[in-house]
Amino acid sequence: MAPSRGLGLPQLRSIFATSTDPRGNMALARRSFSSFAERLADPGNKFQSYLSRSRDPYLNLSIEDYILRNSPPDSTVLFLYTNRPCIVIGRNQNPWTEVNLCMLDAATHGGRAAKDTEPPAIGDVHLVRRRSGGGAVFHDEGNLNWSITCPRGDFTRDKHAEMAVRALRKLGVDRARVNERHDIVLDQGHTKRSAEPNDTHRTPYTVHEGGSRPLKVSGSAYKLTRARALHHATTLLASPNLHIIPQYLRSPAKKHIQAKGVESVSSPVGNIGLDMTLFQKRLQEEFAAMYSGGAGKHSAVQTLGEEHLNIPDIRRGYDELRTEDWMWSQTPQFTVNLQPFDGIHVEMKVHHGIIKTFDANGATHSAGSLEEVRSALVDQKLQDIRNWNKHLRSRIDSWEDHHSVVADRLEELLPIPQLSTC
Amino acid sequence: MAAHFSVARAARQLSSSAARRPSAFVCQRWQRPAIVERRLFSGSAAVREKKYTEDHEWIELSADGKTCTLGISEYAAKALGDVVYIELPQVEMDVAAGDAIGAVESVKSASDILTPIGGTVTEVNDALQEKPGQINKDPEGESWIARLKVEGEPEGKMMSKEEYTAFTEEA
Repeated sequence: MAPSRGLGLPQLRSIFATSTDPRGNMALARRSFSSFAERLADPGNKFQSYLSRSRDPYLNLSIEDYILRNSPPDSTVLFLYTNRPCIVIGRNQNPWTEVNLCMLDAATHGGRAAKDTEPPAIGDVHLVRRRSGGGAVFHDEGNLNWSITCPRGDFTRDKHAEMAVRALRKLGVDRARVNERHDIVLDQGHTKRSAEPNDTHRTPYTVHEGGSRPLKVSGSAYKLTRARALHHATTLLASPNLHIIPQYLRSPAKKHIQAKGVESVSSPVGNIGLDMTLFQKRLQEEFAAMYSGGAGKHSAVQTLGEEHLNIPDIRRGYDELRTEDWMWSQTPQFTVNLQPFDGIHVEMKVHHGIIKTFDANGATHSAGSLEEVRSALVDQKLQDIRNWNKHLRSRIDSWEDHHSVVADRLEELLPIPQLSTC
Repeated sequence: MAAHFSVARAARQLSSSAARRPSAFVCQRWQRPAIVERRLFSGSAAVREKKYTEDHEWIELSADGKTCTLGISEYAAKALGDVVYIELPQVEMDVAAGDAIGAVESVKSASDILTPIGGTVTEVNDALQEKPGQINKDPEGESWIARLKVEGEPEGKMMSKEEYTAFTEEA
């Protein structure tokens, strides 16, 4: 949890010196990642632009965090990346209420077969918890993520969303604007009204009341440190998965869980319908125009990739994001209400990913016999349970039908899928 | 718990009396601290002057320097906007000066809470789990974040209320 510290270059060099190079062809890559650390931290580099060729969400988020913590305090840095299909939840969210985890489980690990009533899943989808605030979003190859790290004193929540809107409008997307939630939406009004062309918060198609709701095409989240502010955002350019996104982000367990923390605000989403490379270039040019006052500067974009995992702080951040603790135990405290049978209420409280209480109330004898379940669960870490049926069966001596009912109910509401290890 | 509440109450008395007559308080601070403490706290619950970090946290050390209360400043609470969640540290967690011991979320933004002093977390303000928005109302009083059994001295620049006010006005 401690923020990663700035890494001294001498330390970095000593690591390079001791690493062996069996194939001899890593020299170039090594120079490239050492030059990234040096270039990034160089106080002379006030405006910097990077692009990742990796599709790994954990790596891209870790590079981004490294930029936040290691770029000069008065610099502004653009970083663009695209992730393979994944669901990214906000730092303080509950994965069981935000995500249809059964769908991930079935799709990625063949855990339990998807029910006939469930829509087909799209294959391997990673679940990621980011370090910034905000709500849950779906990423895939049709979505460009852009992030800007700037001095805290220059930061406003709209400033760079406005930059992205200017880039979109220059490519003819005249319905794009920044809304009151600092997201980018496409207005859906049918008639064209007059609007000030430079107003990034209003378009000729803005409808004030009634009418078609604007479609969200970009969501924002932020991470603030003392001197620096990170604004990152998605941009749905051409996702082939729009039809299925709502299914992934709708949890069947939600109504049975009272969760502290941050709840997502769901919005209808749409594709902008632009080519990825075209928009990347346009955004880099817009950034260059905004900060270095000239065209042509975008040619100084540096490409980053898997080799940058050799930077120890990036590796550390990468490993942390992939831990079970970060995914499950970081969840703000929550209470699950199970109604395994008529007349029985079971309330289970979870804090820091550990089951704190399991209380059964009800008139029938079953409430008392749930005592064994209680003692098998209290003080257990969710990620150590993994499979509720297996966990309970191995701990309850005289297994009865009502134990199965409770185990199945827990499995349904609180699945704990294995995080992808690839 | 009762003892802790009295510390919080005493802390509020100190900060409110300091606010009423800042110059007198500053003058007496170094010259006659014992008298100030005795007058306000009748002995055991004495605390030292609240100190602020450049990261906008405050700490208030006990007179013996062994424990402290930590929170975020009014300036920070105002700048963050409506707080929707506060990630509190876990009791018994060991922390080093400069570590993040929690985070605040407001308007899609996560901000770390750093501790300027090392030690062990002895208590967290659980009321903030239920009502995180309270921190916008009284961040330097009732809505403290955590209490620590401290080890060593604060690290980094620590400012008095007056120095901190000047620092935030510069920024």
